[in-house]
Amino acid sequence: MDCNTCDTAPAIVLNKPEVVNVTLTITTKAKEMLDSAFDGDMSHALLVGVLSGGCSGYMYDLQIVESTDQDCQELSVDGFRVLVPNASSHLLDGIEIDYVDRLMGGGFKINNPNAASSCGCGESFS
Amino acid sequence: MGVIKLNSYVLIIRGSDRLKFIDGLSTNKVEGDCCTVFTTTSAKVIDMVDVIDMGEFLALVGHSPFKNDVLEHMHKRILGQDIHIGDASQNNSVYLSTSDIDVADSVTKRNTWRGWILVAPNSEIIDETMDLQDFNEYRVMNMIPHQGLEITSNNHPLACGLDHLVHEAKGCYIGQEILARMRSRGRQGKELVRLENPVENATTLGKTHSLAIVRTSN
Repeated sequence: MDCNTCDTAPAIVLNKPEVVNVTLTITTKAKEMLDSAFDGDMSHALLVGVLSGGCSGYMYDLQIVESTDQDCQELSVDGFRVLVPNASSHLLDGIEIDYVDRLMGGGFKINNPNAASSCGCGESFS
Repeated sequence: MGVIKLNSYVLIIRGSDRLKFIDGLSTNKVEGDCCTVFTTTSAKVIDMVDVIDMGEFLALVGHSPFKNDVLEHMHKRILGQDIHIGDASQNNSVYLSTSDIDVADSVTKRNTWRGWILVAPNSEIIDETMDLQDFNEYRVMNMIPHQGLEITSNNHPLACGLDHLVHEAKGCYIGQEILARMRSRGRQGKELVRLENPVENATTLGKTHSLAIVRTSN
């Protein structure tokens, strides 16, 4: 391979998905669990993002962060500061953050009206 | 048997997330040079690609008619990662050699399960010494499937002779759940076989034997 030609290989223009102004809801149970996780420190924020990968193509990414380098939109939901990366906003509009309390497969769950399908473990969607 | 020019694209993948990104979208463990398969959520083949690690970037070598499907597959999964895609298909030609031949320094050569893949800049002409019939005979003899014939969007990798490119211990990737279930239950539905001629519904015709994808007995 001629690396000079690789360096000058025409870049493929990516049509970035449109940034959507996200609305989302948090269930009562999830609020309780987030209250416990934040422990009253509202200087932190809940980052709700999407990573590529998983059995179905996308995986949810929930983190409690002070700040992030990602280009995000900031929401205030039930007193929580929520950050949603603009790059994945089209996949997250209308989601409900829930908490499922069970021994196996429990934890935070995302109910996503944009998801056509999800994998068995529930962490991945398409 | 010789050298044949393939109808291939060469995509250049740059960015710090390049290995992780391709690994997360395909069936094999991608840590450097390898061959891997992009699959849909229903585990059907999008394309098989040779991944060539050039240090600063990866080159993905796949089948030209499948290029747009691969690009679309990747585009949808770029969500802020450091990934930049270029297309070097116009500047390079791809050959397959059945033996290790000497090539100019500007030609990238990798030993793969199909033979030696040669990616040559257009200024470097490599003599083709094998025609399509010879290539098909080589593939039939070695049970090597090819894109557009056995490797198509109608098949999953286990059905078209690419099971060795489906990593057994790898975590999630698109289509993994279905392929893992097929393996664990021992039910893959179809398989690639080499049969003595005449072969009904052969995917590749050889002189005495042919390749076909047939239903498995289980």
